[in-house]
Amino acid sequence: MNPATAMYIIQALHGLAYGMLLFLVASGLTLIFGMVGILNMAHASLFMLSAYLCYQVLAFTNSFWMSLFLAPLITACLGLLLERFFLRKVQAHGLGHIAELLLTMGISMVIAESVKSIWGTESLVISIPPSLDGLASFAGIHYPIYRLFIIGLSFCILALLVTVLYKTKLGKIIRATASDPGMVSILGINTPKVFAGVFALGAWMAGVAGVAAAPMLTVFPGLADQVGMDAFVVVVVGGLGSLLGAFVVSLTLGELNSFGVQFIPKLAPVLVFGFMAIVLSLKPNGFFGEGDH
Amino acid sequence: MAGNIKKLVLGFILLGAIGIAPRFLGIISLNMAVELAIGALFAVSLNLLLSYTGLLSFGHALFFGMGAYVMGISITYMDGITLIPAILMGSLAAGLTALIFTPLLVRVTGTAFSMLTMAFGQLMYVLCIKMRGITGGEDGLTLFDMPLLSVPGVFSLDMTDPATLYYTVMGVVLISIGCMWYFTKTPLGGVQAGIRDNAQRVEYLGFHVSASKAVIFIISGTFAGLAGCLAAIFQQVISVDGFLRINVSFMPIMAIMIGGLGHFLGPVIGTIFLMFLNQMAMRYTDKVELVFGIVFIMVVMYAPYGIHGLWVKARIYWGIFRHRKGALGKEERT
Repeated sequence: MNPATAMYIIQALHGLAYGMLLFLVASGLTLIFGMVGILNMAHASLFMLSAYLCYQVLAFTNSFWMSLFLAPLITACLGLLLERFFLRKVQAHGLGHIAELLLTMGISMVIAESVKSIWGTESLVISIPPSLDGLASFAGIHYPIYRLFIIGLSFCILALLVTVLYKTKLGKIIRATASDPGMVSILGINTPKVFAGVFALGAWMAGVAGVAAAPMLTVFPGLADQVGMDAFVVVVVGGLGSLLGAFVVSLTLGELNSFGVQFIPKLAPVLVFGFMAIVLSLKPNGFFGEGDH
Repeated sequence: MAGNIKKLVLGFILLGAIGIAPRFLGIISLNMAVELAIGALFAVSLNLLLSYTGLLSFGHALFFGMGAYVMGISITYMDGITLIPAILMGSLAAGLTALIFTPLLVRVTGTAFSMLTMAFGQLMYVLCIKMRGITGGEDGLTLFDMPLLSVPGVFSLDMTDPATLYYTVMGVVLISIGCMWYFTKTPLGGVQAGIRDNAQRVEYLGFHVSASKAVIFIISGTFAGLAGCLAAIFQQVISVDGFLRINVSFMPIMAIMIGGLGHFLGPVIGTIFLMFLNQMAMRYTDKVELVFGIVFIMVVMYAPYGIHGLWVKARIYWGIFRHRKGALGKEERT
C-alpha cells in the first residue's frame, strides 16, 4: 500500500482509539448531566483514580483482566457513595448548579491530592498485557493490537449502553426520569434510586476508560486535567445531556487531535478549543443541545 | 440611622488602621497585606458576576492574566513607559478581551456559561505557553526593572519599596472596590439582581438582559485585569501557572463561597480566611490543596452561605434566645 495512505489510516485509527476513550468518559458525564443536571467536575478524577487503581490491582494480582474488572467496580462504588452522601445533600440547599459544580470541584481537588500522597507524583508505567501486545497486520498496515482492543471494548460498551437505554424497560424509566423526574416519581418509581444508579454507571464507564487508558497514556497526577478538559469540551460541544452529541464530538475530537499532532504539532492543543469556540458561537447549546438547563 | 453612623465610624477606624499599619507591621506581614488586598479585589470583581448576576465564571483567571501579561509585555517591549499607562493598558486589555467574548457568553446561562468561561480560560493558558516569543512560555516574564509610578513633574513613586507599594495597592484596591460598590447601587446594578432572580421577567419589563449582562461582564473583567496588574507589580514575575491556571480562577470562587454568597464584602472576609488557612496549612502540613478541598466541601455542604450566612443564623438564634428569656421573665412576674 501507498505509505501516505497507510499513514492516513494509522492516524485515523489513533484518532478513533482516543475518541472512543474520550467517549467512555464523556458519555458518563453527559448521562449524569442529562438526568440530574449536575456537571460532575470530579468525573475525570474518577477516571484518573481508576487508572491508579489499575496499577495497584496489577501490583497485587498481576492480572490485567482482574484490574479491568475490579478497578471500575471500586470506582463505581465510590461514585455511589459520592452521590448518596455529598451530592444529594447539597441538592437540597437550593443553591442550584453553583453548589453542585463547586462541591464536585472540591471533591476533584481532594482526589487529586490523595492520589499524589498515596502513589507519588512521578508517572507510573503500566505495561500492556502480553495477550494484547504486539502488532496486527492487515493489507500492509501494522497496527498495535492494544489500540484495536480499546476500540472494540468501547464499541461493546456503547452497544450495551444503547441496548439498555433504548430497548429495555429500565432504559425507558431512565429516559423518562431524565425528561421529567417529578412525573416519574408520581408514577411510583423511586427516582433518587434511578439517579444513584445512573451516577454509578457513569462512574463505572469512567473507570473502564481509566483502566483501558492506563497502558496507552502514562499514569500521572495531571491525567485528570488532560483528559477531563477534552471530555468537558466534548460534552459542551455535543450538547449537555446528549449521548449522540457526545459520540459524534468525541470521534471528531479524537481525529482532530490525531491529525493535528501529525500536521500542525505546535497548534494541536489550540485546535480543540478553537473548534469549540467556533461551534458554540454558531450553536450556543452545542450540536445536539436542547436549550437551557 | 444609628446603624449607618456605626458603619461610618467602623469604616473610618478600618481606614485609619490600614493607614498606620506599616508603622507596626514587619515586611512579611506587609507583603501579606498587599497580597490580601489584591486577592480581595480579584474576588470582589468576580462577586459582581456570581452574587449579583448569578453567573459562575470558571475562567476569571483569563482576565487576571490578561491584565498582568499586557502590562508586563508593554513594560518589557516599550522603552521608557511609566507604570500608569502600563496598568491602564493592562486593565483595558482585560476589558477588551471581555468585550470580545461577550457576544458568545451572554447567550448561555447556568452550567454552559461556567464551562464556556473555563474553556476560554484554558485556551488562553495553552496559547500563552505556546506563544513563547512574546510571553516567555513556561518561564514567564520577569520584570527586572520596574518603572516608576509617576506623572512627570508631579510625583513619582518607587514600587520596589514595600511601604510605597503597600499604600499604592491599598489606595487602588479601596477605590476600585468603592467603584464596584457604587455600581451595584445604580439602576443598572439593580437590573443585574433582577436578571439573577428572573431573567425572563426583566426582559418583559423592557430591559435588555443580554446587554446588561455584557456590561457587567466587561466591568468585572476590567477590574480583574487591574488586580492582575497589581499582582504582577507585587510579584515581579508573570508566569502562566501563577496567573492563568485554573486554580487562579478557583481561588476567588472559594473566597466568595467562604465569605458568603450574596454579600458585597463576603469575598473580602473569605480572602482573609483563605490567607489564614493557607498560612496554617503550610505551617503544619505539606498538603495545602487537600486541606483546601476538604474545607471547601465542608463549606458547600454545611454552610452554603459562608461566614456571613453563619453570622445571620447566629443572630437569629440569639434573637429567639433573648425573646424566650424575656417571655419567661414576664411569666414569672405575673
